Amino acid sequence: MVWKLILFLLMTFVIIAGIAFPIVPQPTSWYQFPVIPGLEEKAKIIFFHVPTAWLAVIAFLMAMVYGIRYLKNKNLDEDAKSAAALQLGMVFAILATITGSIWAKFTWGAFWHWDPRETSIFILLLIYGSLFALRSVIENEDKRARLSAVYSIIAFLTVPFFIFIMPRIMVGLHPGSANDDTSGPVVDFKMNANMQMVFYLSLIAFTILYWWMWKIRYKSIIINENLSKK
Amino acid sequence: MEGGFLGFLENNSIYIVLFIVLVVWLGIFLFILNTDKRLKAIEKEFGKVTSEGKEN
Repeated sequence: MVWKLILFLLMTFVIIAGIAFPIVPQPTSWYQFPVIPGLEEKAKIIFFHVPTAWLAVIAFLMAMVYGIRYLKNKNLDEDAKSAAALQLGMVFAILATITGSIWAKFTWGAFWHWDPRETSIFILLLIYGSLFALRSVIENEDKRARLSAVYSIIAFLTVPFFIFIMPRIMVGLHPGSANDDTSGPVVDFKMNANMQMVFYLSLIAFTILYWWMWKIRYKSIIINENLSKK
Repeated sequence: MEGGFLGFLENNSIYIVLFIVLVVWLGIFLFILNTDKRLKAIEKEFGKVTSEGKEN
C-alpha cells in the first residue's frame, strides 16, 4: 500500500513540476528550468511524451518475453501476461502519438508531417494493431496463444529499428534527427540537473503506474478466462 | 475582486491546465485503486469457491 501512496505523490510532483515550473534563460532557483534551443516553453512535453513512448517499448518487450515463456511452458497465464502487455503497449503508443502530434502542431504548424519519427510510430501501431485483429479471429486459445507469441517476437524485432535507429539516421523535424543541430540530444546536454531529476522521476512514476496497470489487466484476463470455462 | 481573479486566470492559464491535469490524475488513480480492490475481492471469492469445489 505504501508504494501506491509513493506513486501518487511522485506523479503529483511530476505533474506540478512539469507544468508549472517556469522555463527561464538563466535559472537561479531550484524550480527553474533552462531554455532548450528549438524547444523553449514546449520542452515541458518531455516529462509526459517521452515516458509514454518509453513504456510502449517496455510493454512490447514484455509481450515478447512472455510470448517466449509461453512457447516454453505452454502455460496460458503467460499468454494472459503477454496480452496485457500488448494492450497497454498499444495504449501508451497511442498516447505518445497524440502528445507528439499536439507538440508538432505548436512547433511545426500541423499535427502530422510524415516525419520519420511519426512514420515509424504509425508503422508500429499498424504492426501491433494487426496482432489484435489476429487474436480476435482465433477461437482456439492454445492456437491463439501460440500464434500471438510468435507474432509478438517477430514484431518486437522491428521495434529497435523503428524507435531508435530509423528516426536518428534519417533527415527529419523531430529532435534527434540526423540533421538536428539545435535541440537533440536533449536529456544529456541541454537539461540542467533539476530538469533531469524531474525527467527521471517522471520515467520512474510512469513505469510504476504501468506495472500496476499491467498486473491488474493480466489478473482480470485470467479471472475472465477461468469464469468463461465454468 | 472578481475581475482581479479572472484577470489572474487569464494571465496564468497554465494553473488552470495544472488543476485539470491534477483532477484527471486523481480520477485515474482512484479508478485503478478501486479496480485493484475489487479484483482482489473476486480473487479471494474465486479461491474460496475453487477450494470448496475440491473438498466436495
